Amino acid sequence: MAEQQKKSGRRRAAYWLLIGLLVVLPFGMMGFKLFLLDYPLKGLIPQQSYQVELAMEVDGHGDRIQMQAFLPRSDARQLIIEEQQATGLFTQNLQSEGMNRIASWEGDGVQGHQEVRYTVLVQSKPVRYELPEGQSIPAHYPPSLQPYLMVEEGIQVDSPLIAERVEQLLPATQERTLAESLTTIHRHLQDAFENRNFSGYTDALTALKLGEASCNGKGRLFVALARKLNIPARLVGGFIMEGGSKRTSHQWVEAYVNGHWVPFDTINDHYAEIPANYLTLYYGDEVLFKHSSNVNFQYRFTTTKRLIPRYEAQQTLGDSIFNLINFYTLFERVGISQDLLKVLLMIPLGAFVTVVFRNVIGIETFGTFLPALIAAAARETGLVWGLIGFILIITITALVRKGLDWLQLLHSPKMAVILAVVVVVMMMMTVTGVQLGLFELAQMTLFPIAILAITAERFAIITEEQGVKKALHLMATTAVVIAACYAVMSSLFMQSLFLAFPELLLVVMALNMWLGRWVGMRLMEYYRFRHLLQSGVSNA
Amino acid sequence: MPDWLNKWRQVRDAAADVLSMNRRNLGYVYPHNARCDFPVANDKLLCKEILQPLGVPLAKTHYSYRYFYELRTLAEDLKGLDEFVIKPASGSAGNGIIVIVGREGDEWLGISGKRYSLEAIQRHLSDIIFGVFSFDNNDAAIIEERVVQHEVMERLYDRGLADVRIILFKHEPVLAMSRVPTHASDGKANLHQGAVGLGIALESGRCTHAMLQGVPIEKHPDSGTVLIGVEMPFWSEILSHSRHIAEAVPLKYLGIDIAIGKSGPVLLEINARPGLEIQNVNRQAMRPLLEAIR
Repeated sequence: MAEQQKKSGRRRAAYWLLIGLLVVLPFGMMGFKLFLLDYPLKGLIPQQSYQVELAMEVDGHGDRIQMQAFLPRSDARQLIIEEQQATGLFTQNLQSEGMNRIASWEGDGVQGHQEVRYTVLVQSKPVRYELPEGQSIPAHYPPSLQPYLMVEEGIQVDSPLIAERVEQLLPATQERTLAESLTTIHRHLQDAFENRNFSGYTDALTALKLGEASCNGKGRLFVALARKLNIPARLVGGFIMEGGSKRTSHQWVEAYVNGHWVPFDTINDHYAEIPANYLTLYYGDEVLFKHSSNVNFQYRFTTTKRLIPRYEAQQTLGDSIFNLINFYTLFERVGISQDLLKVLLMIPLGAFVTVVFRNVIGIETFGTFLPALIAAAARETGLVWGLIGFILIITITALVRKGLDWLQLLHSPKMAVILAVVVVVMMMMTVTGVQLGLFELAQMTLFPIAILAITAERFAIITEEQGVKKALHLMATTAVVIAACYAVMSSLFMQSLFLAFPELLLVVMALNMWLGRWVGMRLMEYYRFRHLLQSGVSNA
Repeated sequence: MPDWLNKWRQVRDAAADVLSMNRRNLGYVYPHNARCDFPVANDKLLCKEILQPLGVPLAKTHYSYRYFYELRTLAEDLKGLDEFVIKPASGSAGNGIIVIVGREGDEWLGISGKRYSLEAIQRHLSDIIFGVFSFDNNDAAIIEERVVQHEVMERLYDRGLADVRIILFKHEPVLAMSRVPTHASDGKANLHQGAVGLGIALESGRCTHAMLQGVPIEKHPDSGTVLIGVEMPFWSEILSHSRHIAEAVPLKYLGIDIAIGKSGPVLLEINARPGLEIQNVNRQAMRPLLEAIR
């Protein structure tokens, strides 16, 4: 007896020592990184970001359809973090043209309503310039800037009407400074021209004659007037990222001042500044979308605001010297991206969430790992479609299994058939998803196939042995736990934290070990034994 | 002290008396039942082998099948049998059990009224051997004598076998209950599937509480028999057999399931991880009882 007590005492000491180490070690490493290596912890504080989805729809009549659009690129003001395309029936081609990134989509024999979607996560900042007072307009510019002074089809710099308006606004008899010229043009277009909510094309002269214009007309006139004054100027096409869905793009202009391209928007009165929610898509007098005729082309921008940590901070953290001579580049060398690594790091955390649900709350799930793995796979599909996909796969497979049961097959061959059924169901869902334009559903191929097959089998057995109600109940509780795992695992804060401090996985291990010897009552047991607890209270 | 805080403390203290799932596993199952001793509880054939010499009453094993080729003789084996039970050796919760009560021509009649052809029985046996009812591990199928229930138990419900579950810790009985099948439980003595749980007083063998899905009841939902006060037949034998069994097996925290036949108790199986619902059925928290044995 004494021997046994001694043994259990030793085991307890080892247990606490191990937990202590698993907590102290990673926090020590974190402290070292933060205080001695100056890890920018500030970078982990979430920042306003925008998730923009561009959906382009066409109606095909069996012919070849082409579409083209400009895609954003990272610059000093905007950072493109994650891009995803769901091209449906179309093949995509990306190319660069000057400063612009052009994506084109082509499809042969396109029938019916089809859609292409492009999603991008953007972090952007506002910019604001102070224009130098008293500096005169330069007489000469390097050749690279010549294109920004020239006449273009819709920018009639050489027209006498433009010359006349410039003379009116800024008489040549007075000295024209750079700042004063831009201020005058900006104020003139902002105040004397009415904003028109017209989506068609307006050239500079038409805008001038009408005294009113939409964004593209005002932009062209601004550029024409500036170029006439020998100030290089260009059109910028883009989109204002505001919550919700809309079918309009936007244009503004930039003028070249002392080596900087300074933005002006005379629709929304932004003088030498633009706010953070302006997304630049292209430069120059271009059309945002081109497409085959007669296809009833429609587009729609949908913006969702999200709070996520600064992406640069993630990068610096990942690239830090302390990560064992750039630990993460080793993964990249074999084709494992940081994005995938983030998911990998989150899976133990998801498993811990499941453990909490099972052992602390007392909610049953299908398996300990299934919720975390489904949640990881749902990164591609989004939570709702991930859950729908999960439930569909399990129920369809379980139904097929019921049919197999009637054929009276032996167990192992039957399981192998079920595995094949899961694969087929997943592929069918992908195909249907593409056909219906439900691209989230189409991303289901990352689901853990083997675990789904086992789950479908267990689901079917439970419906038989314990009733359909019990099986559906278990499915519902599993769905809840998947949602919880998803919430934790898709949190970009958690992802950045674990990417910066992978040693935190040791803390997750310590927490699991602590729960491994936790003898407290599960939350649901308070309900299960409520009568015992109540009588305990009344006896006391 | 605010009222709610006071109440919370009382609930917390009461909760300390209830044996919870986490504490059952960490405090009783893991330290007292070594993993290597689990087969005694999991494998009914092994269990019978160990207990047979001790004079523990067991259902007679007619045949057992561990390999598919052994099924070749099935038709021959079943020739003289009109009444028997098919069981997986390592099944749990009453799953995979078929009770045959008679024969009609080429077919056997199950207790629920279902008919079984020789092929159906053969397939069920193969499923058992393949491990369908025992988490995919290969298993043995047992064909054993059918226990004909004592009339007291038969009066409670006659379409399934009731049992008595006794939890013992260090050879001492701690709590007892009886599980009586219902239509809803499909004739199985399984509380989660809707069997009635009877709390049985250890000293007298008398039913003190009756619960159906956690709700107190007075009569059996199908037979209408009054349950409270019913006395288990052969109670002192049941207790003494339980003690003997507990002393004979290496498990120190266990549940023993016993059926009550016409001529006395018959051991059904041993459980190394007995459930917690017995506390609700008896309206009795178990930890103080376990601590007293320590």
